[in-house]
Amino acid sequence: MSNSPLVTRIGPGAYRVEIDGRAEIVHVTGAPGHRWVHWRGRVFERPFAADEPAVRRSTERHQSLSAPMPATVLKIVAPEGTQVRTGDTLLILEAMKMELPVRAPADAVVRAVRCREGELVQPGTTLVELE
Amino acid sequence: MIRRLLIANRGEIAVRLARACRELGVESVMVYSDADANAAHVAAGDRAVRIGPAPAVESYLHIAALIDAARSSGADAVHPGYGFLSENAGFARACADAGLIFVGPPADVIARMGSKIEARRIAMAAGVPVVPGETPSDQSDDGVLAAIETVGLPALVKASAGGGGRGMRQVHALAGALAAVQSARREAEAAFGDGTLYVERLIQQPYHVEVQICADTQGHVVHLFERECSVQRRHQKVIEESPSPHVTPELRRRMTSAAVRAARAAGYVNAGTFEFLVDLAGGVRDNAPFYFLEMNTRLQVEHPVTEQVTGVDLVRAQLLVASGERLPWTQGALTQRGHAIEARVYAEAPAQGFIPQAGTVLLYREPSSPGVRIDSGIREGDVVPVHYDALLAKVIATAGSRTQAIDRLLAALRSFPILGVHTNLPFLIRLLDSTAFRAGQMHTGYLDAEGAALAAEPNEPPPAFIRDALDAADHDLTPSAAGASAPAWDPWMRVRNWSVR
Repeated sequence: MSNSPLVTRIGPGAYRVEIDGRAEIVHVTGAPGHRWVHWRGRVFERPFAADEPAVRRSTERHQSLSAPMPATVLKIVAPEGTQVRTGDTLLILEAMKMELPVRAPADAVVRAVRCREGELVQPGTTLVELE
Repeated sequence: MIRRLLIANRGEIAVRLARACRELGVESVMVYSDADANAAHVAAGDRAVRIGPAPAVESYLHIAALIDAARSSGADAVHPGYGFLSENAGFARACADAGLIFVGPPADVIARMGSKIEARRIAMAAGVPVVPGETPSDQSDDGVLAAIETVGLPALVKASAGGGGRGMRQVHALAGALAAVQSARREAEAAFGDGTLYVERLIQQPYHVEVQICADTQGHVVHLFERECSVQRRHQKVIEESPSPHVTPELRRRMTSAAVRAARAAGYVNAGTFEFLVDLAGGVRDNAPFYFLEMNTRLQVEHPVTEQVTGVDLVRAQLLVASGERLPWTQGALTQRGHAIEARVYAEAPAQGFIPQAGTVLLYREPSSPGVRIDSGIREGDVVPVHYDALLAKVIATAGSRTQAIDRLLAALRSFPILGVHTNLPFLIRLLDSTAFRAGQMHTGYLDAEGAALAAEPNEPPPAFIRDALDAADHDLTPSAAGASAPAWDPWMRVRNWSVR
């Protein structure tokens, strides 16, 4: 992540994204499962085609993963206490007849699983906490 | 002078009318349907009165409810805005009968100019050209051919009884005229059981140019130059500008004097617009033919472009004239300076056949920069109701030249985020930036014939950095985030964290 853009929040829903010294203003709003994005007169709606469940950033040492859209928990792959590596599948969601694997964003230990198999989860619901 | 004005409208025009009221020290009374109880226009007035349920026929089109609202709120005048009851002679009459000043022409003038046949007759009597046409009394082949020669080529032969393109033939040369007449008659008989033919001059790729006029009760009539409104989609204007890139000073003189003559002939009072078709087949030139199309006996959606280049407030003039005062300007004092272009922002989905959109506006940020005027009737968090026209805002850019005005408008539209409902903003941006628009080559049929490419959303994925902004948003917007830290920039959030510790 050496050339990672610098993102600064400049107001409610407004972000300044700096890429190679050039700044772009991006506006974001909407529920986690249905984001609306504006950039230079263009409008995008998320989820984009190849989206995977969102990873929530955290300044803390632990991270939590949340559902990106209304979905059913199909299978919990990594129960509490499992040591996982980056990219390992933690659980599988099903939404709009498609399976969405939720993967580990970093090497971690599963501290808590906040959902059950078969449960209908809403956008933003925390699914797994990692440490 | 009017003391308290009932604004019998909603949305951006109601907000704009209230602004003129405030400047004049006139109290404004808004009206609202149940769907609009929390609408932007309700908050923009000094008072507000509920007039009925959401459907327009039970609220904004309900004459008795509006008259009641005017009475109960103590209003002494009514402004109809545009659309709804603005060109309804019955409403103007009901206002007059209730002792209310109707801000517009007298009811009989609305009725007269609202009749196509009567308006055409008045225009002709005033020496204003209309599209040449006639129903030949001799309906034989020779009789219709003679009518084609009288009307002039190219001509359109069409079923007198019909519409929808059936029984309609274009005649570009006398050589093919007989065949066209005979097939048009056969088709007219088959489609409508009536083979009577009407012949009119065919205006190919016409341009829509209209002249703003204003008249007072003392007989003064002035024009406020022209507006170019050829960029239309299914007869709905999308972009308007002033001056017209197609009008030479001599053509402007001919058109504006025709409009003033017609206004006098109609006994017109208050602000109004004469719409003309301009035939530019022979190129942009002083003697280009133009034809009276119709008159709008009200304030128009696109009135701001005229205000921007003339520096006048048309609504203020309307209120003065309605109060019986003189026009605030003489013809000689009016000038057309710079160039103004207006884009209409609608809640609609261009990529899906421009279907109107309803829903909650989740994010709405109007740009603010010199030379950009925004007339809007929506705020962040407002709901766009399904019941009414989906015009959200008008963005008007004014600059020294047409090119500068286009660039200024494009810059404003690109920094106008509206999220939560789809709008035509991306379409407007592609349209304004197109070669055809920049060259001023969009005639009234252009968008319907060739606009599909502009309406289609380009199939480009968002740039990669969009995802970084989304990640940041996930962090900020997601509620109940375990371990989510407060945004570092917000001092109040810092205070809260600090005090908790």
